Amino acid sequence: MKTISILLTATMISMAGAQTLSIKGSDTLGAKLVPQLAEAFKAAGNAGVKFEIAAEGSTTAFPALANGTAQIGMSSREVKDDERTFCRTKGVYIKEHPICYDMLCVIVNKNSPLAKLTKDQVAKIFTGQVKDWSEIGGAPGKISIYTRNTSSGTYKDWQKLAMGGRDYPSSSLKMAGNEQIAQEVAKNKNGIGYVGLAYAKTAGTKTVLIDGVEPVAANAKKYTYARLCYFYAPDKPSAEAEAFMKYVESDAGQDIVRKVGFIPAKDL
Amino acid sequence: MGIVGTSAVLIFLSDRQSHPTKHLAEMPHEDPHPPEPVHRFQKQGFSYENAIKFFFASNAGLTIVILALIIIFLLKEGLGFFPGYQRELEVYRIAGLEFVDISRKNLTAHEQITSVLNRTYYAEINGKCAHQMRRSQEASALFNAYSDLTAPTRDLIVSNSQPDSSPSPEMIASLRTNFEKQKSKALATLPPTPHLTPEERQALIESIRSRAFDATDDPPLVASLTTEFAEAREKQVKPLEALRTTIDTFESAGSELSSLVSELTESVTATKEKIQDADILEKDRKTLLAAASSAEDPIEREKLVSEAQASLAQKPDIEGPIRILMERRPACIAAHQSLKNAAATVSSQLPNTLTQPEASRLLKVAHNLWPLFLADLEKTPQKITDWNHLKPVALSTAISSFITGKDWVTGGEWQDFYGILPLAAGSLMISIVALTLAIPSGIGAAIYVNQFASKREQSLIKPVIEFIQAIPSVVLGFIGILIFGTILRDLSLMDSLSWIPGFPIEERLNIFTAGCLLALMSIPTIFSLAEDAINNVPSAYAEAAEALGASRVQTTFRVIIPAAFSGILAAVLLGFGRVIGETMVVLLVAGNRIKIPDFTSGLGTFFQPCHTLTGIIAQELGEVPLGSVHYRALFIVGILLFAVVLIINATAHRFVNRMKQ
Amino acid sequence: MFNPETLIRKGLPKGHFKDVAARSFLGGITYLVVAIAVLLFVKIIIDGAPVLFKPEAPFVDLDFLTSKNETLHVFDDAQGNRHQLPAAAYSQYISQHGSATLFNEQTYSYSGGGIAGPIAGTALLTIGSMILALFFGVSAAIYLSEYAKQSPFIHAIRLAILNLAGIPSIVFGLFGFSVFVLAVPVITSTPSDRSLLTIPLLIGNYFLSFQGWNSSLMAGCATLACMILPVIITASEESLRAVPQGFRDASLAMGATRWQTIRKCVLPFSLPGILTSSLLAITRVAGETAPIMFTAAVAAKDDLPWQGLKSPFDILSSQVQALPYHIYTLAARIPSSEFTQRAQYGSVFVFLLLVAFLSLGSMILRAKLRSKLKW
Repeated sequence: MKTISILLTATMISMAGAQTLSIKGSDTLGAKLVPQLAEAFKAAGNAGVKFEIAAEGSTTAFPALANGTAQIGMSSREVKDDERTFCRTKGVYIKEHPICYDMLCVIVNKNSPLAKLTKDQVAKIFTGQVKDWSEIGGAPGKISIYTRNTSSGTYKDWQKLAMGGRDYPSSSLKMAGNEQIAQEVAKNKNGIGYVGLAYAKTAGTKTVLIDGVEPVAANAKKYTYARLCYFYAPDKPSAEAEAFMKYVESDAGQDIVRKVGFIPAKDL
Repeated sequence: MGIVGTSAVLIFLSDRQSHPTKHLAEMPHEDPHPPEPVHRFQKQGFSYENAIKFFFASNAGLTIVILALIIIFLLKEGLGFFPGYQRELEVYRIAGLEFVDISRKNLTAHEQITSVLNRTYYAEINGKCAHQMRRSQEASALFNAYSDLTAPTRDLIVSNSQPDSSPSPEMIASLRTNFEKQKSKALATLPPTPHLTPEERQALIESIRSRAFDATDDPPLVASLTTEFAEAREKQVKPLEALRTTIDTFESAGSELSSLVSELTESVTATKEKIQDADILEKDRKTLLAAASSAEDPIEREKLVSEAQASLAQKPDIEGPIRILMERRPACIAAHQSLKNAAATVSSQLPNTLTQPEASRLLKVAHNLWPLFLADLEKTPQKITDWNHLKPVALSTAISSFITGKDWVTGGEWQDFYGILPLAAGSLMISIVALTLAIPSGIGAAIYVNQFASKREQSLIKPVIEFIQAIPSVVLGFIGILIFGTILRDLSLMDSLSWIPGFPIEERLNIFTAGCLLALMSIPTIFSLAEDAINNVPSAYAEAAEALGASRVQTTFRVIIPAAFSGILAAVLLGFGRVIGETMVVLLVAGNRIKIPDFTSGLGTFFQPCHTLTGIIAQELGEVPLGSVHYRALFIVGILLFAVVLIINATAHRFVNRMKQ
Repeated sequence: MFNPETLIRKGLPKGHFKDVAARSFLGGITYLVVAIAVLLFVKIIIDGAPVLFKPEAPFVDLDFLTSKNETLHVFDDAQGNRHQLPAAAYSQYISQHGSATLFNEQTYSYSGGGIAGPIAGTALLTIGSMILALFFGVSAAIYLSEYAKQSPFIHAIRLAILNLAGIPSIVFGLFGFSVFVLAVPVITSTPSDRSLLTIPLLIGNYFLSFQGWNSSLMAGCATLACMILPVIITASEESLRAVPQGFRDASLAMGATRWQTIRKCVLPFSLPGILTSSLLAITRVAGETAPIMFTAAVAAKDDLPWQGLKSPFDILSSQVQALPYHIYTLAARIPSSEFTQRAQYGSVFVFLLLVAFLSLGSMILRAKLRSKLKW
């Protein structure tokens, strides 16, 4: 009985205005980096701020910003024009804050004899033109391609950066996150996948040299599959959101960025 | 408008509920209320009793309201899909993407055949030096197993003995002991190396043992075997030079078409973007104007209106790009002609058999693909000439391409397709596996428990099966992804089991894994319903049969089961409904590959990954923009699921009713 | 009590070969199923129990149940000792020792700390949805068993119940998302432009806007309640019908009204039955993931649901963590390694323990009820 009246009363009040700091968007940023930034931010004297982090893919960041369900959106790609306009129609001008560089590393199983690939070979593998490791000089075995799922910014970035805009073959397996791709590749000796630099050190996998360039922070400029990751926030962010973004851009924040395995934006 | 009705009912109910429920809760201790002699409603033809009855009736009616709401809202969100998809397909045609896809299809076929030929070539070479390859692989596997185990402790020493960190000697010493411990542990559990001689193995182990901990090069045997393998390959390449040249000729024959396709791709994608931008601008203008009309602040309104005017879309120029595209028709046809000629020549140059079985098999595949490829190339020029960008896309095209579409491609750069077949096939394949396992075990257990088991056995078996029913599906999914899938793959890698079709499996998460877990889930449903059905057979049947001298088994299988048959069938159907509607297990365990399984591999098909109707909703709904075509497509999938399950349930209940009669 | 059937059977010849073969085949299948189930439980108990129990007194370690979920940091210190610390303890360690002495650092999301948040969220979701479902379900059952006569209305209700019971949980998820998250009415001063219909109220500057409750505890409760409603109605009707007709006749003959009869003579006797079967419904509500994925659940949240609220009503309009969704996250989003196992198997073990308690409780209650209530 009480619940009914509470339910009714609750409908009376507006839904907006939780005082927690809600961050939504990219899995690349949200699964590892941002939770650790948040924990460090709290440890640095902001214990009062509460975080709610949902990392379902970059595409989810902008509707959440527009509806006011997130104060900061994480994205591993640039905002699209229609997304920006959509936010605008809800009265939200979004502003871009570059956070860090990320490199997309091609990983294979540790026991694979493969050590390097050319850009062309990568494109052929991920578009399904090459189906067996023996075709590019490996031990015979059918290639298993692990990709991110369709809402991921990485999924689309990879299509642009590495596949010349072509579609993934239907034989590819869609994984929910970077960690999962790494895990599957570690368990499948014929697996190949791409992950953000921060996830490239997973046990059981190894990174592949692309055109002879090793994916390490020092090579960020030479490496083909590098991209910038962003925070998006309303032009008038809440005090907590502003403080958090300031912290991320500060030296302490950028140290954490480096430690987790991304490349601080100012290093380049 | 359904929502207004419900909420009205809800509010109405919540007002009335305060009375009866309060009494309900306090009832046992409370003195009876003195009945009110004349309720004020009675004067108006209302009685207190009637009001109570009405209250209960409206609560019962809530079930109808919920069902209606489910249907209304699924349709409301879903039905917009078809017009939206129609528009997408229209853009696909107008912008010329469809035109490019005609050529691209052939290009893909060419790539596939090239891939098969390449595999043939390498299978022949690798087959011929299989011995060297195995030896080399085994040696490196052994070394890898060792380094995997010792790497963490080794890295610790290396990172601590860097010049900038000043390690204390005791610490380094303790790290060293750790490393030695780990090393001897690793050396005790090395993988078998059947193709190396015992002496070689011994030598390899010795070289690992005596290895400096910071050495980075491979042990000598590993290195020498690798070169040995490389040399053997080198030797085999010579006699196959002719084949290599043929393959290379064929591969390069596609380059003309390939460059043409990529050139056209760029231009049509640009056109498509222009059209989409115009669509978006138009929509934006509308939303901005709508926002302006509801804005209260006049300055804000002014700003929004001016923005809307600024974003007034220019009608994109479609004819220009299309004309350029059409001008490329002859080039396109010519490219196809030359590819066809090259393909015909190459096909005659290919050998008919090779020495290695795997290579011969692949070669046969290539030979089989050839006529299809040539026939497709034959038809293409006609298709290219016939193609017309102004041919309208009917709504029925959108519907039929949804129902019969073989691709579910979303979020791509090129074009999104929503075809239900891969998902439906996945759901169906998983159900087949699950039911094949669950029907015999569920019904068998029901017969056993009801007919043969003693009271004590019953009291053991029934609670266990009931408890299986209570296990949440996400827990089963967890078991599948962390335990069962890995066990299955390890099993499939065993040589003694390689006779099973599909073994060794490629992916640990596949149709079979998901099917097994769903079987476990549906066994309790089938079991309890089938047991009920058997239980409901009048005991006179059994008595009569036994009086005639039938044995227990005869009575069970000749009398009781036939009498309970329609009830058992209902149990199976409801089990099927449960399996096809299950979400979490298939989302976690089915492997999420959106592709119609490749049925050419026979029973091995069941070991391929797939995606399902339920899984796609769970995976994608959280990520799609509200109201987009993709979002609506997921609701259509939901409607389909809803309809399928309703039909299954209705059939099952028809069987149950027949049984009751 | 002698069953004439068993007496007759005793006289029949046994040990016929076919008989034995069929029997043992069926028995084999049955025990195979039982063995697989038992094997699963044992595996989870072996891997999960150490999280909750320990060998020395007091044998129970409630840390896992009462602490919040955090990132787990795994690293070696300069002495080569391996540390596994959740984030809070980790930052404390850093502030004491400095960060220069850490090697091989790895982090595992969701793997540190405990599962207090998911447990609290699941409890709230279960309580909320059961209150709603019991209220509406029992009322509907009273109508069906006490008032209803054969009529098209009753027929339609029964059909609706039957169909609702068969709908897959993911379709309830879609339904909950499109209705409770996006369409139900709220009263607000700033209607969203997603709203289906906005009606200005004459009090102040408020509107009745059909814009939904967003992903929130109450949207999740409402969705789960709709899902479980047919189960509750069917079970309650059964319990109500089990009360002998004589009770009602006697009461009505004494001049009591129908409502008085129901209140005094029917409900009290059927209440134990209703509550027993609703225990089983709880296991279903607590275990469902698909309906709450889009309506209520969130993967990571710092606070317990009741902490950090501006007003008590905020608890209903905020998202919660839930145990089944947490297990989904643990299974699908993080790799499995020796460091994540504690969180993974621990959560599953706690969840199964909960389910086992509930279903065991309902089994025992049912057995008691059967022996006690014999009219």
